[in-house]
Amino acid sequence: MIRHPEPPTSTPIPAAVLAPAPAPQRTAPAPGPAPGSSGPDWPHLSGDDLALVALLGLPFLSWDRLRALLQGRTPSQAWAAVCHGQAGPGLRRAAAAGPPLAELAATYATVPFARHGSPRYPPALAADHEAPAAVFWRGDLSVLDRPRVALVGTRRCTHYGRDVARQLGHELAQAGVCVVSGLAAGIDGAAHEGALVGVAEAEADGGAPGRPVAVVGSGLDIVYPRRHARLWERVAEAGVVLTEAPLGARPEPWRFPARNRIIAALAHVLVVVESRATGGSMHTVRAAEERGVPVLAVPGPVRSRASEGTNLLLSQGCHPACDTQDVLAALALRTAGLPGPVGYLPHPERPEPEGLAAAVLAAVDWTPTAVEQVLARTDLPVPAVSAALNRLEQDGWVAREAGWWQRC
Amino acid sequence: MIATIPSASLLGVDGQPVAVEVHVSNGLPGFTVVGLPDAACRESRDRVRAALLSSGMPWPLRRVTVNLAPSGLRKGGAGLDLPIAVGLLVASGELPAECVAGCAFVAELGLDGSLRPVPGMVPLVDALDAPAVAVPLSCAHEAGLVGRHTVRAAATLRELVAALRGEVPWPPLPDVSSAAVRAPSPPPDLSEVRGQRLGRWALEVAAAGGHHLLFSGPPGAGKTLLARRLPGLLPALSAEEALDATRVHSAAGEPLPPGGLVERPPFRAPHHSASSISLVGGGSGFLKPGEVSLSHNGVLFLDELGEFPAAVLDMLRQPLEEGVVRVSRIRQMCTFPARFLLVAAMNPCPCGGVGSPGGCRCSEQARLRYQRRVSGPLLDRFDLRVPVMRPEVDHLMGGPPGETSAVVAERVAAARAMARARGVRVNAELPATVLDDVAPLTPEAWRAVEWHLRRGSLTARGFHRVRRVARTLADLAGHEGDVLEEHVCAALDLRVEPLVLEGAA
Repeated sequence: MIRHPEPPTSTPIPAAVLAPAPAPQRTAPAPGPAPGSSGPDWPHLSGDDLALVALLGLPFLSWDRLRALLQGRTPSQAWAAVCHGQAGPGLRRAAAAGPPLAELAATYATVPFARHGSPRYPPALAADHEAPAAVFWRGDLSVLDRPRVALVGTRRCTHYGRDVARQLGHELAQAGVCVVSGLAAGIDGAAHEGALVGVAEAEADGGAPGRPVAVVGSGLDIVYPRRHARLWERVAEAGVVLTEAPLGARPEPWRFPARNRIIAALAHVLVVVESRATGGSMHTVRAAEERGVPVLAVPGPVRSRASEGTNLLLSQGCHPACDTQDVLAALALRTAGLPGPVGYLPHPERPEPEGLAAAVLAAVDWTPTAVEQVLARTDLPVPAVSAALNRLEQDGWVAREAGWWQRC
Repeated sequence: MIATIPSASLLGVDGQPVAVEVHVSNGLPGFTVVGLPDAACRESRDRVRAALLSSGMPWPLRRVTVNLAPSGLRKGGAGLDLPIAVGLLVASGELPAECVAGCAFVAELGLDGSLRPVPGMVPLVDALDAPAVAVPLSCAHEAGLVGRHTVRAAATLRELVAALRGEVPWPPLPDVSSAAVRAPSPPPDLSEVRGQRLGRWALEVAAAGGHHLLFSGPPGAGKTLLARRLPGLLPALSAEEALDATRVHSAAGEPLPPGGLVERPPFRAPHHSASSISLVGGGSGFLKPGEVSLSHNGVLFLDELGEFPAAVLDMLRQPLEEGVVRVSRIRQMCTFPARFLLVAAMNPCPCGGVGSPGGCRCSEQARLRYQRRVSGPLLDRFDLRVPVMRPEVDHLMGGPPGETSAVVAERVAAARAMARARGVRVNAELPATVLDDVAPLTPEAWRAVEWHLRRGSLTARGFHRVRRVARTLADLAGHEGDVLEEHVCAALDLRVEPLVLEGAA
């Protein structure tokens, strides 16, 4: 059990010293995914693997600082350097305070992860100039072989954005495209919800759907946001949840821009559904532009805060994504040879409203409209308007959110 | 010599009869009060002495023992000053015992011998069995509200003793009718609100069905304006309700309306810095009713609900559920009445925003903090959760004024009469078990409800609450039979999730 070697030596510690005999019987249950999520033939961790995991677990060691540390060093050498204080006293103290490597070996014995350069490392990421030093995942990493579209957007979306994200996710998954997103609240969650529906429908028809790919900012054992715990599970079952953060990593704010670059690196096409002028999605856009990934934006109402960013992108010459066809067209340019797009889903049939219902529908905007506004425009009694709005909602003409109504 | 004078002291909002026993005997001059008096009560010795001397009456230079029976109960307040003084006069032979027979006394004494009012005159007098009660002149009307006693009032101790001796007649009681002509200013009228059809309508429903109401909307939308118009829509209190409300107001030392009786539903609006004790009642030493009890049979308005500390708000859960507050202290336990209509107003989020989805500028942390303030269980108590938006300029500038409070109050009274025919005070109190009988749904209404239940936008408990509101809506429309689809749909529209709970992670 080596925290840091007592007599400071300049020679790197042999990997054999750092890698203790693999613990055959784990006494304490390790946090993280169930042991069943990896194959029984999972190779034992090498010294470099352990050193890298230990490095990733250090606080305040962002990925670019880590990359600088790994420049010209193996992970074991980098770890030894940190333990000797060559990377500063703060990191040395943090390394000394962290769990011993043997404990890490027991914890990570059942967690699928790959170091950059190892054969298991996803090839989709390997060539990226800011590739994460290691990735951890739950689910099946081979789903990344298909064409991938990233659907991103603001956490504080409108109903319109959520609906469009859900529909795009649904139809892209059916068309055999992997939906890459961040499992955040708002647009991200909606995109994956839609993708899961698409997967289920395509499987029922005997098709080959695109699997959902989630790139999260926290460790695999820290579900954030917590109300997406169920969605997180379902994505891991149907596709893959991956991250560069080690187990136990909290969703600290700096991890999200870092997460966004992985989304951009994985995407063949990036679609921004709704975003404010500043925000996480705009980070993703910048990361995608650096990598030459085409960016599409979903047009939104010019008065909607949630569409400020997307409308700005459109004004700067970004292509609009008005339906799944637009996305598939952008994708076909880039993914020639991969399993191609298959068809487009028309909008479901809905009965045309008549009389009073038509008058009420005319009073509802495409942006959130308060009942008060509908009442003022129609001059009908409240119960009549309520009943009409409810009928329209059931027929799929309008949607409600927090007491506001909106055409859809 | 010994004298026993009936009086009463306050325990919570109820009076408890107290027999003031005064014993004067030979021995070293001294004055002792026994029987668990509090500080104010023990100090009465000095007030009584000064008052007697100022009134030209002798102070006995003998051993005086005052016992407040039953001696096991704590007594507080200065209301026992007068019975002690009268008992002293009787026991020392200054006043014949037959002069005070059948008369109870409640008043504080000033050093100059004047009789001063004490809080809680209504419950104190209510606790007395004696056929007559002597009180300060300024409390005479309050004491007369109970109606079982001959009220005698005097302004000073000298006047009182002279009247007791029969030397002068009792001073006439102050004319109540002259006080009543100073009619209270009418409550603000609903017609002053421009636009806001949904908000006005929600007020009507809340008044008719006794449903707790939450307004949420951006600053300046008129939430407070609307809420203050609710008492004007409620029917006047019945005689029994009025006496209940008056007892609480009297016990809390709140000023009573000119008529003496609290006849209009009280409206209380504590500031959001209110402590939990000031809200539900309690306090060390003497338990005082809090704001929830002062709004008994009336309206409790919590403006800026999100600014109240969460611990304070959670105190409201018991009174909302049971209609009473039980305050327990090591020495005593009190039950205060607290059946009120809760009306609250809050911003959709800390920034206030424009209130529409996607329009907020708050950070995620700020929203989370705000969300934690208002707990889910409390939010669930609001049958009506109504978004209020800023009125459109056209409505502010002109347009016909809306209905007046009087017109709406008539509909409210009619709907409340229908609820009483079902055996409850208001529809909000309908037990879930009878909903199938009193609020059956038409097949169309069932379909609308089923759609929401299947979609998960309505829970089983929410369903019961929606049915009660729908029953009220049908009552307001004068529709006795099954609850129609439009009533159910409108009830659903009046029960929206506040925005802050939607987008937050």
